[in-house]
Parts: sequence; structure tokens; C-alpha cells
Amino acid sequence: MTRLFGTNGIRGVVNKDMNSELAMGIGKAWGTLLKQTIIHPKCAIGTDARLSNHMLKSAITAGLLSTGCDVCDTGMLPTPTLQYTVKEKQFDAGVIITASHNPPQFNGIKGVASDGTELSKDVEEAIEKIYFSQHFSLAEWGCVGAFSTWDGAIDLYIKGILSTIDTTGIKKQRFHVVLDCGNGVGSLVAPLLLKKLGCTVTELNCTPDGTFPGRHSEPIPENLTELMENVPEANASFGVGQDGDADRAIFVDERGKYIWGDKSLSLVGKYITRDLKGGLTVTPVTTSTCFEDVISKNAGSVVYTKVGSPIVARVMMERHAVFGGEENGGLIFPGFQYCRDAGMSLAKILEILAKEKKPLSELIAEIPSYEMVKTKIVCPNEKKQLVMNQVAEQMQHNKDLSRIDRTDGVKLYLKDGWVLMRPSGTEPIFRVYVEAKEKTRAEQLTIFYKNLVNSLIQHA
Amino acid sequence: MTQTISKQIFRAYDIRGLYNKDISPDVFYKIGLAAGTYVQQIMKGKQMVMGSDIRQSSAPLAYAFIAGVTATGTDVCHAGTTSFGQTLFSGGRMHADLVAFITASHLPPEWNGIKFYHGDGVGFPEDRLMAIRDLVLSDSFKTVDWDKIGQVHSIETRAEYKAFFTSHFTFKEKIKVALDCGGASMTLSAPEIFTALGLITVPIFCSTDPTFSHRPSDPKPKNLAVLVDAVKKNKCDFGVAFDGDGDRAVIVDNTGQILSADHTGIILGKYGLKKKKGTIIVNVECSKVVKEQLEPLGFTVKQIPVGHTFLTLEAKLEHAPLGIESSGHLILPEYFLFDDALVIPLKIAEILEAEKKPLHDLVMTIPMYPTKKEEIDCPDEIKFDVVSQLKQQLVKEFEQVNIMDGVRVDLAEGWVLIRASNTSPIIRLTAEADNETILHDLVTKFLTRTHEIIAQTKKTTG
Repeated sequence: MTRLFGTNGIRGVVNKDMNSELAMGIGKAWGTLLKQTIIHPKCAIGTDARLSNHMLKSAITAGLLSTGCDVCDTGMLPTPTLQYTVKEKQFDAGVIITASHNPPQFNGIKGVASDGTELSKDVEEAIEKIYFSQHFSLAEWGCVGAFSTWDGAIDLYIKGILSTIDTTGIKKQRFHVVLDCGNGVGSLVAPLLLKKLGCTVTELNCTPDGTFPGRHSEPIPENLTELMENVPEANASFGVGQDGDADRAIFVDERGKYIWGDKSLSLVGKYITRDLKGGLTVTPVTTSTCFEDVISKNAGSVVYTKVGSPIVARVMMERHAVFGGEENGGLIFPGFQYCRDAGMSLAKILEILAKEKKPLSELIAEIPSYEMVKTKIVCPNEKKQLVMNQVAEQMQHNKDLSRIDRTDGVKLYLKDGWVLMRPSGTEPIFRVYVEAKEKTRAEQLTIFYKNLVNSLIQHA
Repeated sequence: MTQTISKQIFRAYDIRGLYNKDISPDVFYKIGLAAGTYVQQIMKGKQMVMGSDIRQSSAPLAYAFIAGVTATGTDVCHAGTTSFGQTLFSGGRMHADLVAFITASHLPPEWNGIKFYHGDGVGFPEDRLMAIRDLVLSDSFKTVDWDKIGQVHSIETRAEYKAFFTSHFTFKEKIKVALDCGGASMTLSAPEIFTALGLITVPIFCSTDPTFSHRPSDPKPKNLAVLVDAVKKNKCDFGVAFDGDGDRAVIVDNTGQILSADHTGIILGKYGLKKKKGTIIVNVECSKVVKEQLEPLGFTVKQIPVGHTFLTLEAKLEHAPLGIESSGHLILPEYFLFDDALVIPLKIAEILEAEKKPLHDLVMTIPMYPTKKEEIDCPDEIKFDVVSQLKQQLVKEFEQVNIMDGVRVDLAEGWVLIRASNTSPIIRLTAEADNETILHDLVTKFLTRTHEIIAQTKKTTG
């Protein structure tokens, strides 16, 4: 069956592969599914700041209403804000129109379950099945859903964050934060949140704008140069950059140095497990070993999952994890909600800084360092599975390996590092990740395994 | 989206159909694409104002329509759920290229539809509506790239709309009005504005009721028993009933007598227009009493074809102070060019205050002639041919024949109008005469004539 949902919802170029017709069909399919178990489902809908939001929101709203689901429009807001609203206000489902960090010509649809988490794969597949069958259960004229609006979501979310952290401790420190929302919807939350925490805020790109005039939306180093320059200039405590829908936060230390997501994930994980004297944490197989190092040191444990934040969140729920997240700045705080949350990440980093009374660079320096190399190899989709199996087979007798893990692709644990080869879910490529203590070793391993995969692709 | 769209939903003045049968969100999405394309390509415009009535199916239809309009790059100012008048008022304020209102007017609740107006309040003529129809049926839409997608702005004009009335009407006397909104869209405007103007209101069916469970949304005399009783029981100065969307008002005088649109129009013309001159627009179905009453006062009465789009357009061209459609659409362009029925009871109240006489006394000054309406079954394929044959014959036989819409023969003691229905397989005959005997003779004569031609035409077309 053709898939619509990728790792993070349905994405596409607007009015090409992401249009009103598709959105309305998804609304109908999802509404049909909801009606199978709930008599009168209530859905919340929200958007990021993209130019096509109204169009797609209207289309999916029409679809949901036509099946008899009520729709409450919560306006423009970050993805985690909508997720929190769905959970706290007892909606049966949530829809967020966003393409996260993708370029402005993209947009997408992300589904939220009644508990505030992203939709599970099963539910996504059920929606797809109904969509392709076109067997919608459409309500008669007297039973269609009702439409309403609610503008209290951002307030509810900020109050929620403030209630879970030590606000007094943070306020005392009078932090100065440089904030780069990248013209995303984080602009509607982060400045307000920081001010409520007594921080001085230097704002960069903090006006929502669907053309993303300030910088590209993804918070990778080349897009955060302005932030990195501004932090030492402003003599700020640190800097923070968010993606388009504000579920991911990337930090910059007081000297203007970019902190990779692995490190901030490890830093937060370290303090959470230290305070709890242990606990289970969850992260995908792509995360650096530094995470496991700090968690183990605090008597905690790490469960590895396939790539994708909905999967991480689900495993965290099932295993009662104390913390989890991805290496891209997507941190999940189960005490608050089971989803990536840039607002909560920012508050937590402030809390750690207030408690430790050390500069961010020093705290990061305490986290072990590894060298990681990420590359990709072109591979036709139909060859992916075969190649994966062959890699695993060949490696079985390799004495250098301590373990082979098939959670997602093939992960080889070596004495001095690891190699992960996994097929992309959306593109005809293999991703190869290598981590080692030394850079030269990582590069050496990369060349070796890239060649191996390449030759297997040629012969497959 | 495989549903085939029926051509029948596109009628002369609007689009109408049964929800989930003839119309659906899928159909409205396409109508949105077509309307947006029309605004961009033909009108060279960029902005549409839209709103919807209180019908339950309006919400899914409205959002599907917006999804289509914005895909073409046309912006939407969304007035939300309002009375017809408030959305049209918003269209004027925003200088909209096109105004769309989702409604099925007075039809039962399982129906819905859409009607279009120009921003200045002139109704969308049939040829333009058919151009939109053709875009829908041929799937000829022009969508835009991501950076040109239409934006949606929510507009809240309730306060401004109310302020318009409070600045145009003031009442010193305590005027008592029975207000029957039939649970329909006027519930959102009329009670609030009546109260703001200090009218003593006896509310009837003034809470929103999308199922129209209290009375059908068509304010026909037989549906107004509760209003008539309320006027009499509460000793009201008058009563008013609105249809489903609020573009027609029916007035009940202080004795409980229900006024025809012609009579209401004459009262507005006789007592309500300060400058007693200019052209008053009436359609060919209107009573001859309109002309008899208003021309001696200095007005010119101009006949136009049936349809409120003609009414608004002619009123604009002629700078008319009043327009009367026998079906109940009345316009007073000193306020609005479009047929917002809310101005009618307010103008009546203003007249009563100035004249210091009960409404019934004013009604009694107007003679009433007997009229008769007949529907003659005739297949769609030949109905227009039958009427055109009648035209050819009657033009030769009678002196005063008007052929702008069907054929109307004016005689000294009465008149007859024969026209094909735009929407049903029938030919309508309307007649009015000085007394019942003449009327009976007239109707019999022309009915026979029509039946003969139908029979002949059926024979020749086999």
C-alpha cells in the first residue's frame, strides 16, 4: 500500500503533493476512524506559521466536520502546545498543520492522539486504509460536527511548564538569553515564557512568518550562525534556537559554541537520573554513546528504539521512562507530556543552570565526547531489505563485533565505537552513521562500511 | 473525488441542493476552486468575503469552500455564521471583489447552497453564475504556488453592523413589534438590533434552531399563525417574519393582516421616501396597484424581469430609491443595495412614528385587486418554446405586450403574465384584474391558450 505518513506525519510541497483535496480526504478518513469508537469525537486543530495553513486547516476541518466530529480551532501555536492542549482539555484527537523544519514550500499534517502523543503507526495505517478505500462514513445534515475556536492554548501551555519547574530558583539568576525562533511559531511562546522566568531576552527572528525570512528553519549549525555570534556579543548566559513548529530546541553556550543535540540530551538526562538516583531512559539507535555513559553513571538504563520521536514517546509510556529524546534537540519530558517539547527543554536547561550555578560550557564539558560521521549512499528502495540482511549475515562471524543490533537497520557494536547502516524511510538512500572516540578511527570505519554497503548494492 | 456534480444545482440566482445528495463538502470545494479562479482570472480581483447561515451543514460546506478558494490564491475574509445582511454589509466594508453566502434561503433544513453578490451589493447575474458552473463542470481551475496561497482573515463586523442601524434609525415613540425569526439566521442580528434601537420587542422563535422545528423557514402566510396571534394578543404596532437567511421580510399589520410584498413596497414608497421622485423598480409580477399608487406621487415605475439580481442591478443603474420583487425581496438603496430584510421593519417603524397612525389605516388606503397564480405542467424541453410561441401570437393581437421576461399582456381592467419557471417543469401564469369576474375570464382564456400550444408543440416535436 502507498504510504502517506512518513516519520513525522504527512509532508509535501503545497498545491503539488500536499493540497486541499488530500487534506480533506485525511480529515474524512480520520473522522471515520474516530467515529468507530467514539460517538461524538472532539478534535483540536492548530497550525504553524506557514502561508498555506489556512487552506489546509480549512480542508481538514471540512473533512472532520463532514463525518460528525466537532472541530475546535486553537489557532497558530507550537506543536507541543497543541499536544498539551489535547491532553489537558480532553480532546479525542488533535491535528497540527506543520512541516516542522522543512523549507517554506512544504507543509504537512501531524496527528495527535487523545493522550497528546503523536499518532501510533497502527492508527496512521488505519487512516491510510480508509483514505485509499474512500469508504467514509459521512454524517447526515443534522449530525455533522460543530466548529468552534479557542484562544487559550498558549496560556495553558505556559502555565503548565511553569508548574513543573523551579521558577523561584530560575528567577533569582536573572538569566540573559538570546532566543532565535527562526520566524517559527515558537515566537508565540518562548519570549513570553522567558520573561515569566525573569530572563532578559534578546530576540532574533521572533516574528512568525511563513516565508522564513530570517534563516532556514532547521536548527543546524549553518542556520544558527547569527545566534552563535549574538550570544557572546550580548554577554548572554546562553542562546537557544528552535525549529519551525517549536518541538526541537538547540542550545548555544555562553561563548557562542553550538551544542549538538546529543550533548544537551545527555546533560538533561544526567540531571534527571541524578535527582531520581536512576531510572529508565529511551532514545533511538542513532544517539551518541555519551548519553548512555552519563545515564549509566547515575545508575540509570537506556532503551534504544527505531528512529522517530513517536516511537520514542510510545516506548517511554510503555516502560515508564523518566526521560527520553532524540539527538536532534527533540527532548521528551514524561512528567509533563509524551512529546518533543522545545518550551519545556528551554525551561529545564534554565533550571539546571540555576541549580548548578556553572556556565553552560562547563556543564557540557563534563559530558563525554565522541566523534560521529554521518554519510549516505544511494540505493534503490527495492534493494534495501536484501542489502540489510546481507550486511547482518556477513557480520555474524566478525570477531571484532561485540554485538549486532537489528532494532533499526543494522547496528554493529565494536570495541571502540559503533556503526549503524539504516535505509531511509522516505528517500532511496542508506544512511551510515559511525561513532568512535577518535576522529581518524571514525573516518576509517566510515570508508570501510561505505564500501561494503556499496558493493552489496552493486551485486544485489 | 469521483462524485459527478449535477448541473441542476446551478439555478438562475444561486446554487442549491440536498446535503450529501446533490451537494457535499467535495462539491463545495470545487465551487470554491471555481469561484476563486473566477475572481482571479475574470474579475482580476483578489479578495472574497464569505459567511454562512445557521444551517447545520453550513460549517463543513464553508470550510471546504474556503479550502478551494484559497488554493487559487484568492484571500478570504471570513465573517463566520451571520445573518445574510451582516455578511453582505461586511462585503461592502471590505470592498470585496465577490461576496459568498452559504444558505438555502427558505428551504427545509436538509438543503443548503450558496449565493454570490458583488461587493457593492449587486446580485450575481445568471451568466456569471453559469460561468462559475462551467468552471466547476469542466474542472477548469487555476491553483497557485505555495507562496501565493490565499490567506483567511476572520472578520468580526457584528458591532459595526449594529452601529450602522443605530446611526441611521432613532425612535422616540415606544413602538411594539412582534419579531419572528423562525429560529433562522436573523436570530443572530434582529433581536439585538431591535433592542439597541429601543423597539419593544415580542420575540417569537428568536433562539437559533437549525432544524426549523417551530415553523418552516419560508414565511408564507400559512406559516405565520403564531406571529399573527402574537401581534393581536400583545397589541403590537406591527409584526415581522424573516425567511431562513434574512433577505425577505413579511410584515403583519396591527390587526393581524399579512401584507403582500407589493403592499409593503407601496407603504415604503408612499410614506418612507423623503424625495418623492425617481424610478422605482418593480418586477413584471408586481400588482398594477404599485404603479397606480406611486406614479401620481411623482415616481416613475419601471418593470424588470423576475429575479433579485435584476432588482439590485437596475436599482444601481437607475439610482432607484426603492425596489420591489413580488416574491418578497424589497430594497431601500439609501441603506443597502442588497436585500437585507432587516431594514424593512425598521423603515416601517419609522413611518409609523412619523405618520402617527396605525399601520392598518395606511394599508386601507391601498386598493387590493384579486390575483390568481396558476402552475401549468410542461416538460422542460418545450417550456421555453411554448412561451416564445405565445409571445409571437400575443404581440400581434394586443396593444400592450411586455416580453422582457415571459409575456405580459396589459389590458385596461387587468393583466396576465405567462413565463416558464427557471427551475421546474412548469409554466407559471399570474393574473390580476379589477374584479373576480374579469379575473376568472382572463385566467380561463389564457390557460386554454397555453394548453393548446403545449399540445401542439408536443405533437410537432413528437
